[in-house]
Amino acid sequence: MLTGWRDFDDAFRAIDLLQRRIDRAFDFWADPSPSDSAVMDPQRRGLLLGDRWRRRATTAWPATNVYEAKESFIVKAEVPGLAESDISVSVEDDVLVLRGERKSQAPEGYKVHLRERASVAFTRKLPLPARVDVEGVTATLTDGVLTIALPKAKDALPRQIAVQAA
Amino acid sequence: MSDMAVRDNNGLQAKAYGGRTVAPPVDVFENADDLLIIADVPGVRNESIELRVENGTLTLEAKHQTPKEELPALVREYERVDFVTTFRIPAGIDTGAISAETKNGTLVVRLPKAAAAKARKIAVQ
Repeated sequence: MLTGWRDFDDAFRAIDLLQRRIDRAFDFWADPSPSDSAVMDPQRRGLLLGDRWRRRATTAWPATNVYEAKESFIVKAEVPGLAESDISVSVEDDVLVLRGERKSQAPEGYKVHLRERASVAFTRKLPLPARVDVEGVTATLTDGVLTIALPKAKDALPRQIAVQAA
Repeated sequence: MSDMAVRDNNGLQAKAYGGRTVAPPVDVFENADDLLIIADVPGVRNESIELRVENGTLTLEAKHQTPKEELPALVREYERVDFVTTFRIPAGIDTGAISAETKNGTLVVRLPKAAAAKARKIAVQ
């Protein structure tokens, strides 16, 4: 029963919440092999960062965060269940490419009661925001989180310019 | 044993957006000897994962115990969250023999069936 504006607010909030959950559910079962998601593409970045739940709905697997340090970019991706050998990381033409596959079938001889961890084959291409030193790129896998450090190329580093008296 | 390990908190992901605690995605498998629960808990260290068996429930808590590193994020697709979930342990599980291991950000919990609960073939004489 709606008796005032407050109730309208609550009703919309409830609908919004439901929408989020539905999105999340679909997101989870979505096409497991999207080759898209230029998360580092500045034009899409605004969109991706603009709205909390839309962003969720538009992201591919694995979920990836990108951080900027002074002299490098740090990319972190949540890849639970993948071993080092299941992931390949490469830099191709200023694009960071993550490829891999997570197989989460039932172990041999087991029957399934609940499946929430999808099997995923993925290719994610992340355009880099600045030139990086390809030789210096390192990737480590710890507790299901892939961390890639990409040192910025020398000419992409901030430079201090001395001010001289005229 | 068909309705094994029904997840107790049927308000699935109830706090996923509100707070810092979510229910991790899990798989539950069963064969003649045991139940297997596999949960995704990326980023949580081995020693920060706690499993408790009490009153016929199995509680899994994987909580970060280190401060977040604060670098400016250009893109943020995931938040660092803690994982908590609870299962009802079905009858016929040998709770004393439950074991768990972590592997690449997943937690694998093995719940062996008690000998009495296993299917047996009885020889006809």
